[in-house]
Amino acid sequence: MLEVKNVTVKYKNIVGVRNVSFKADSGEIIGFIGADGAGKSSTMHAIAGVKRFEGEIIFRGQVYHSPKEAEKIKPQLSLMPQGLGLVLYDNLSVKEHFEFFRNIREVKRDIEYEKRLLNMAGLYEFQDRLAGHLSGGMRQKLSLILALLPRPKLLILDEPTTGVDPISRRELWDIVDGFRKKEGIIALISTAYMQEAEKMDKLLLFDEGEVIARGKADELKESIKDYTYEGEIESEDCFSFNNRTYSLKPLNLKKASPLLEGVFFVNALKKGKKNLKIELEEKEAKLSEVVVKAEGLTKKFGSFIADDHVDLELKSGEILGLLGANGAGKTTFMKMLLGLYPIDEGELYLLGKRIKSYEDRLELKSKIGYMSQRFALYEEMSVKENMEYFAKMHDLSPKETKEKIEYFSTLFGFKKYLNDFPKDLPLGINQRFSLSVALLHEPVVLFLDEPTSGVDTIARATFWKFLREIKEKWKISILITTHYMSEAEYCDRVVVLKRGKKIVDDEVKKLHEKFPGLSFEEIFIKYYEGSA
Amino acid sequence: MKKFLAVFKKEILVFLRNVMLVFILIYAFTFDIYIAGQGIEVKPRNVSIGYVNYSGELLPQKILAHLHAPEFQKPKRFLNEEELKKAIFNKEIMVGIIFDKDFEKNFIRKKEAQLNVIIDSTAAAQAEVSVQYLTQTIYSMIDGKMPVDIKVYKLFNPNSNSKWFMSLSELLSVVTMLSLVLIAVVFVREKEAGTWDIMLLMPVNGALIMFAKVFSQIFIITVGLVMGIGLILFGVFGVPMNGNLLYFFLLTFFFIMAMGGIALVIAAYSNSVLEVSQYTVLVIMPLLFLSGAWTPIHSMAPWLQKLSIISPVKYYIEGAQSIFFRGTEFIDLLPYFAGEIIIGAVLFYLGYRRMGKLF
Amino acid sequence: MKLGVVKAYLKKEFIDLWRSKMIVMVYLIPMMVVILFGYGIRMEVTHSRTVIIDRDNTKMSQEIIRAFSTTKYFDTKVLNITDNEALRLIKQNKADLFIIIPHNFEKNLMHSRNAEIAVYIDGSFPLRATTLEGYVQGVFLNQLEKNGVKVPFKINQRNFFNESMRDENGIIPGLIGLTMLIAPAIIAALLIVKEKEAGTIFNFYSSPVSKIEFLIAKLTPPFILYSFNTFILFLIAVYIFKVPFKGSFLLYFLASEIYIVISIGIGLLVSIITSRQVTALVLTVLITVIPGFLYSGILMPISSMTGESYIEAHMFPVMYYNHLLYDAFLIAQGFNSPKNVEYFFILIFYAAALLFIGSLLLKKELK
Repeated sequence: MLEVKNVTVKYKNIVGVRNVSFKADSGEIIGFIGADGAGKSSTMHAIAGVKRFEGEIIFRGQVYHSPKEAEKIKPQLSLMPQGLGLVLYDNLSVKEHFEFFRNIREVKRDIEYEKRLLNMAGLYEFQDRLAGHLSGGMRQKLSLILALLPRPKLLILDEPTTGVDPISRRELWDIVDGFRKKEGIIALISTAYMQEAEKMDKLLLFDEGEVIARGKADELKESIKDYTYEGEIESEDCFSFNNRTYSLKPLNLKKASPLLEGVFFVNALKKGKKNLKIELEEKEAKLSEVVVKAEGLTKKFGSFIADDHVDLELKSGEILGLLGANGAGKTTFMKMLLGLYPIDEGELYLLGKRIKSYEDRLELKSKIGYMSQRFALYEEMSVKENMEYFAKMHDLSPKETKEKIEYFSTLFGFKKYLNDFPKDLPLGINQRFSLSVALLHEPVVLFLDEPTSGVDTIARATFWKFLREIKEKWKISILITTHYMSEAEYCDRVVVLKRGKKIVDDEVKKLHEKFPGLSFEEIFIKYYEGSA
Repeated sequence: MKKFLAVFKKEILVFLRNVMLVFILIYAFTFDIYIAGQGIEVKPRNVSIGYVNYSGELLPQKILAHLHAPEFQKPKRFLNEEELKKAIFNKEIMVGIIFDKDFEKNFIRKKEAQLNVIIDSTAAAQAEVSVQYLTQTIYSMIDGKMPVDIKVYKLFNPNSNSKWFMSLSELLSVVTMLSLVLIAVVFVREKEAGTWDIMLLMPVNGALIMFAKVFSQIFIITVGLVMGIGLILFGVFGVPMNGNLLYFFLLTFFFIMAMGGIALVIAAYSNSVLEVSQYTVLVIMPLLFLSGAWTPIHSMAPWLQKLSIISPVKYYIEGAQSIFFRGTEFIDLLPYFAGEIIIGAVLFYLGYRRMGKLF
Repeated sequence: MKLGVVKAYLKKEFIDLWRSKMIVMVYLIPMMVVILFGYGIRMEVTHSRTVIIDRDNTKMSQEIIRAFSTTKYFDTKVLNITDNEALRLIKQNKADLFIIIPHNFEKNLMHSRNAEIAVYIDGSFPLRATTLEGYVQGVFLNQLEKNGVKVPFKINQRNFFNESMRDENGIIPGLIGLTMLIAPAIIAALLIVKEKEAGTIFNFYSSPVSKIEFLIAKLTPPFILYSFNTFILFLIAVYIFKVPFKGSFLLYFLASEIYIVISIGIGLLVSIITSRQVTALVLTVLITVIPGFLYSGILMPISSMTGESYIEAHMFPVMYYNHLLYDAFLIAQGFNSPKNVEYFFILIFYAAALLFIGSLLLKKELK
């Protein structure tokens, strides 16, 4: 039904994707997986007819070679580009969006159908709310049902679930899945979540502008079965993640059933890539048992209570995961801990000292490291200049600065990028570079706000390895938020927020004991839906 | 101090890497001033002139011969008044002269003749100046026959070289605009790029960051200013410097601090560079309007005159003109410094307070 | 073309303009420009601070002083100070000019000897100085004539179009032309670039909405909004600034509408080559303000231009519109003048050409 033949997409001086070919039948969901910049979006843009390409695409008998020729299939097509609710107009309400999309797609109003979509997305009660006031997850869901509104025969979704919490993610998936069965559509979906990829009918694995593997999830897993071992080890020649180790050379370990993400690791190994070796020197740190202690922290925005009397303890040398749906109050909470928001009610202690005045907060700032969602660093300055700047701000001497830059760039493997600008770096490198900036001044606590969002699997695996090493050897306590529930397994303890209230505060180990056999995602959803 | 310099250096670097800002700075301090200086002419230049002659040839030709380049184009002859008027209506001719039948006769016999001049006075000032020039030219033909000799001395600029004035005025407007935009942008860019939180998390006093940021922009503007004065004002237009250039830079410093206060308020309320530019437009027009740059303040309505006392731009423009042209001594410049410092202190304090809330 | 699509897009644009408060900009900025600059740019100089140093102290000199103090142009002060003290007053910016009536002035005049008067004007602002010079001479000549002194030439000046020589009559229509060039272009460019920046442009790229539908939807709102502005600015000119309106309103209205289309066309071209709102804004201002000022006729009459500037003036649409604008306000030949008709068609040509080029260059795909 959809046939893509030798499609190549070029940008000014780089090739986005080279010679992609595949076929899809109606009712099928094709998953695109691969790292950031591997060519997934380029392929989608070519098929959606919004980007010039070489090659040929045939959809339901219509042949096209350019965006111009693709006009004829556009009535049957919906594209949801990458980004949180990119296609929404902030100043239009949900209802007005429906009206607008209905009219520009020239579909007759079908009240029943629209009601169904709104209910599926849980937006029925919010029809009068402006899109600009919706949370990230709600925006994604709205974008998705708007894409479904014209009952497209070809649905193209570019990372619809990135940055979306597990609850919304599951709902999004249910919408798409229910839909393709009823309407018999072809859906092309790119994703960074392997649990989702497993549910697709067929997968295309992209790497450096090419499709390097394809097939059903099971087939792909089958292909790396010989390289998969149980447990995690530290070596340059193999990658470990999620309690699996992937190696081309035979290891003296027990074989294990492969996970889908293993495909990335095996591919990297086949390409001769080495795992970054990380060994940190042990550092002695005498710290009090409790590093950060928050008692009844409350933040109100007008009548809206973002955080409602939340208690939290971060113990010395532990990784604490702060979880919750979009808009549950995680970021606000973190900002209170950081001293970025004034605290409306409650008390905050750092290393046993109450943080009250402006001076207290200044002192607080020199003891914490922070890494924000977008790894925001100064775009106009090179990696080195950024690091020098932050070093100076933290009172490091020029000699120390030089040593630290040398040390971190070698350790985190971005030495060759020192003179590049952050925007030219691969996301994974940027992430590690941001981490090293947060660590420059040897903080006792590290606050990480969704540090792995949008980053590919290998980089995420490496990143977590660092975090654990830092925790163990340097005794730095880490507070982290994430949407990857598989990553929560790496935390020692998790705190779950729901609508500004704490609903879970327990060790991961204990949670697993409580719900044997369930994945962490399932446990999370159980708690969130109040069935635990 | 080390941290102050670190922020200062960072902002300079960030500015230099931002192609658009550098382009705007260079454009504003060079081309923009050049165009303003070139484009506006006070003396009549190349005025198109037409005439109809019903009189004898001798005297009219003698008069017309005096109307020449660069002030006038070659006078064009029309057959009758209708034709001449038509040309004026079509805006092909700006000044029309009609020599009546008795013109020559009256001049020779009675020593009193009337010359009819029709002028397109759409642009009143140009018309005024052109007629004045015409009158002077004709009177100068009969020099010595006038009973009173009115000797007019134009101080500081005897040849009425408007390029001096216009280029300086534009330079001052550019400083006004850029001090608002650059200082606001240096804060808003952190908001836009998402680095705001990181900035706040530096273990540094907020005041230090704010001052370092503001001073970095003052430095950048000063560099632009030196470029504009050196290359365009002195280099291209040969603007005189009758006072002390140092005073000018000192005055500029206090002025930018005052504008910086306004810029901080703008920056506190905007979340994107686009919003900054919109607010700037809203703020800058009344400021320039109250400055006396275009209309002498004492020609304004009384209530506006009172209002202009609180305009920092007024002290800056008057002070700068006094330094450049009038060569005013320091003691007589004190009122401008006092005005600028008082207003600057108040505005900067207000801006600082408003922005400080975000730190 | 599908009407429903256009209608939906239009509705969305208007809601967005309203809720994003952009509508304030649409009306506030042009009004502010015209009002502020209308009050602000004044070539006429009044109440100039004049110091008269009367060293003659005769009936004649008294009469001259009286003549100066009775006009609105001068605020006179008679002081008995030295030349240097007077100079200092100017340096302190406390006086604009001083006039010295020398000893024996009356006597010299009566005896037909050469009588001399010295006038020192602060020349910092040359236009002001030249204007003042003219006023001073005017006052003196008038005074002489009253006293029966003969002047060999009398100039009988007739002013066309702006008989009372009011600055406003020339400047306000010029400012209308300027804002009508800049403002619609900015809004048109921003409306399109905003979608590019936010990503909502995908709704156009990936849907069956055609280029023409999109263009109509994007360009109609600024067109309609600024059409109202032609009325508002007209009212400001006529009622606040009392600019006479002698010509045909129809000509003014039609020419303005076409001019708005031209401006929008410029905005469209800018939106094609830019992808960020700030860049679009800066670029639009740069390419409209300079020609808008230079070729408006506010600064220099087109008839005075030579060489390149003459050619450039004819290349930009500004000159043609301003010609019609001045005709509507001050000249009133209307469509009876072949030149006006010619210029009118030239404007139509510009509008059509810009829209045509814009719609050709607009691509329904990512760069």
